[in-house]
Amino acid sequence: MMATRTTDVQTDAEELVKARESQAPAKQPLVKPVDDPVIYPLELPESETRLTTPAVGQRATRPDGRLHGLGQTQYIDDITFPHMVHAKVLRSAHPHARILNVDTSAAEAMPGVLATLTGKEIPTNSFGPTLQDQPVLAGEIVRHRGDGVAAVAAVTEQIAADALEKIKVEYEPLEAIFDPLVALEEDSLKIHGGDTNVYASKVIKKGDVETALAASDHVIHQQYQTQMVEHVPLEPHASIASWDGNGRVSIWSSLGRITLGREDLARTLNLPQAKIRLIGTIVGGNFGGKNEITNEPILAMLSRKTGRPVKSVFTRGDEFVSSTIRHPFTMDYTSGFMNDGTIIARKIRLILDGGAYCSWTGTTIGKGSILAPGPYNIDNILVEAYAVYTNKTTTGAMRGFGAPQVCFAYESQMDDIARTVGMDPLEIRLKNAFNEGSSSPTNQSLHSVAVKESLTQASERFDWKGWQND
Amino acid sequence: MMVQLKVNGELRSADCPPETTLLKFLREHLNLTGAKLGCDVGDCGTCTVIVDGESVNSCLMLAARAAGHDVTTIEGLANSQQLHPIQQAFEEHGALQCGFCGPGMIMSAKDLLDKNPEPSVLEIRDALSGNLCRCTGYTKIIEAIIDAGQAMSEENTPA
Amino acid sequence: MIKRGRGMACMWYPIGFTVAANASAATVKVNTDGTATLLTGTVETGQGALTVLGQIAAEALGVATDDVHVVSADTDATPMDTGAIASRTTYVTGNAVKLAAEKAREILFESAAPMLKVRADQLEARDRRIQVLGFPSKSVTIGEAAHYSENVLGNPSIGSASYNPPTVEMDPETGAGKPFNTYVYATQIADVEVDDETGEVEVKKIVAVHDCGTPINPMLVEGQIQGGISMGVGFALQEEILFKDGVQVNPNLTNYIMPTSLDMPELEVELVDNYDPTGPFGAKGAGEPTAVPTAAAITNAIYDAVGVRITSLPATAERVLTAIEEKRAIS
Repeated sequence: MMATRTTDVQTDAEELVKARESQAPAKQPLVKPVDDPVIYPLELPESETRLTTPAVGQRATRPDGRLHGLGQTQYIDDITFPHMVHAKVLRSAHPHARILNVDTSAAEAMPGVLATLTGKEIPTNSFGPTLQDQPVLAGEIVRHRGDGVAAVAAVTEQIAADALEKIKVEYEPLEAIFDPLVALEEDSLKIHGGDTNVYASKVIKKGDVETALAASDHVIHQQYQTQMVEHVPLEPHASIASWDGNGRVSIWSSLGRITLGREDLARTLNLPQAKIRLIGTIVGGNFGGKNEITNEPILAMLSRKTGRPVKSVFTRGDEFVSSTIRHPFTMDYTSGFMNDGTIIARKIRLILDGGAYCSWTGTTIGKGSILAPGPYNIDNILVEAYAVYTNKTTTGAMRGFGAPQVCFAYESQMDDIARTVGMDPLEIRLKNAFNEGSSSPTNQSLHSVAVKESLTQASERFDWKGWQND
Repeated sequence: MMVQLKVNGELRSADCPPETTLLKFLREHLNLTGAKLGCDVGDCGTCTVIVDGESVNSCLMLAARAAGHDVTTIEGLANSQQLHPIQQAFEEHGALQCGFCGPGMIMSAKDLLDKNPEPSVLEIRDALSGNLCRCTGYTKIIEAIIDAGQAMSEENTPA
Repeated sequence: MIKRGRGMACMWYPIGFTVAANASAATVKVNTDGTATLLTGTVETGQGALTVLGQIAAEALGVATDDVHVVSADTDATPMDTGAIASRTTYVTGNAVKLAAEKAREILFESAAPMLKVRADQLEARDRRIQVLGFPSKSVTIGEAAHYSENVLGNPSIGSASYNPPTVEMDPETGAGKPFNTYVYATQIADVEVDDETGEVEVKKIVAVHDCGTPINPMLVEGQIQGGISMGVGFALQEEILFKDGVQVNPNLTNYIMPTSLDMPELEVELVDNYDPTGPFGAKGAGEPTAVPTAAAITNAIYDAVGVRITSLPATAERVLTAIEEKRAIS
């Protein structure tokens, strides 16, 4: 399957190197002498940790770890096929615009360009885990700078990149919204039409938060803000698509979810699932950013048009602009507590900057809201959360789904509460934290609870009680 | 243009456009895909190889510039007899997770240990500062390098 | 002047999806020499899932980790899996793997019982042998049982199973319900130094104590904690995508600052001794929780050091210094 392009020609190369060596001082050998082309040991001592029973609890070494260290792991970009060509995607020039016309003729005329693709050609041009509001390639509207507008397949990556510059797109720029609080306003422009930019919301209610706040010895309020961050997997998104004579398409992809990926491909390409083979290889980091399709349907179509395997690899810039990022949260926390440190009420409002498309916002807003009060026995809770569209990078799944954001808020406020009643940060947490069997904010009875154990163990390891600030 | 150089002790050559980077030359013309493309502009270190005894970002060096020089890639560390001590230590410590930063990280580690077999933790951190890793937090990588350095010193010490 | 401070943060985090089906299926095939193959639709994204799932299958079959070969991520050959997401792989896919392995083991027990002249329910599998409970010297190797089962009886040892965490739909008005089957918990404590003239924060050490239920592979759990903390440090102090008029200003690794080896603090990692009976061999999960409490631990430590409350991340030197100067101006 590997296309070899090496042409070894031993001409005066040896002379060249000999001449250099006779000039330079003698050096230490850089590698163990290589007198055979084998790059991995033919016989290795077996890993004891992998041979020990029982298996659970062993610090077993990883067989893929050995291949990583040898440089033998085949990530998508390491895979080549005979006659494989390369695809690139042209990204939007505006954060919000209507597409009036896409003219790919100049690109198509370039030597080495084999095919182009626009959104109109995608059989079902929409996808998304909850709302199918995201196009594979933009149809009539682009909603952020990372939206794909057209794609090109060419014999080399460089030609494909050059061809993108020859694609002429006529845009009618539209007013754009970047601030989620502006997007919330009633008279704001509606990025996906309809009468609101709010596309997901959640409410958690327990007890009676207003009465409890009124009955509290102390009430404090603070707003917290977190920023937009990206997964930065070291391996950029990559995929390869290839058809066979039976009308089956095989797609190698850095996707972290191939069952759902195949469903998405079947839907966007109007193909039966049995005609699609999706292969996930070893992925060079995901962290949530490789959990939905990106270029896969585009490559499948370009491969069908050209009759050749087609590969695309995101540039690092594409990773930032065209793959998903973490939702910035604006969080308002109001806590009511007693003089003895017991928190009796917590009222929370979460605004999620929901980017241009829904992606994994449903899971993020759900988890974020449920986790928002913290691992504490609070009888009166109100959480109201909203996700709004903005004309910025698509916000999606990223390690924690809202938890890092809300934990920043509730644990910051915990220390403020501690200070207000004159308690040590460890003591206030032990006083309020869940026990085995505690009732969660959604009235679930919790089992296998270990928050107090983690607090006590960490404090002992850190010597929290013995700390001096010097 | 024809580019000829020594790679892992072996004379190799191939025909490539003049603007070809050493990284692309290794990956696409010599089929040595160990060095990775993570950013193509010298920020991430996944393309690190050793040229004439110094670690370099191969995405920032033209293949033509490397012509006639000695290049060592990850593929040149192990042989049919054994893993390189750094590879052995990385495996035992579970130092790599997704592995994408691995080849570059190991070449930077080799560059350090070849010159300084008993580096301090700070010296190790400094030597690796051009190799980004998103998975591991660098902790087990550093522990593995300390072990590898000891193993390499023992190898070189006469019995 | 350098000021020192400490801060703690604890957290809880769920395993699996929020009240939605997120099943995983698995198939285990035992070879006639007692080694085995595990088919799983999950994807290895670097966290070591394939190693952990192999250990779970090995444990259920009574063999060693190296005896199980794991095949993954091919829709033509492996069964469905909701994916490597939401820290669910060890728990959900792991439970499916355990159930599948137990089904394959059942076939081996049925075949080994007549070999040992006992009933199938008198047998256990451990240390690569099938032996009689309470009388371990009466045993056959798993290979002998598998060979006999497949080649003599014509009953190949193969098992397939699926698992979906049981949840309860949430009330649309109050959100009450059982959105996840289990949760994990953790505390991280940070020791920082803040330069009150520049606002620069250096994290000297973080102590992290995490609950993951039974650690199937402690080395890999440590790796997840260490890696998660590096994302937490970046989230707390460095990382930010900057926008101007809808255009990203820093879509590159020169100007998107994230932790290098020089930015990482000394880490001390410990696991809570815990067991969740709903998880495979008591295991829960570890992937995401590790990145959750770090930022608050660091900003709480900043407050302890210089008395300023950072409410907006990242806590860059500029932001910390501005807060310090504002505090000075007031007092």
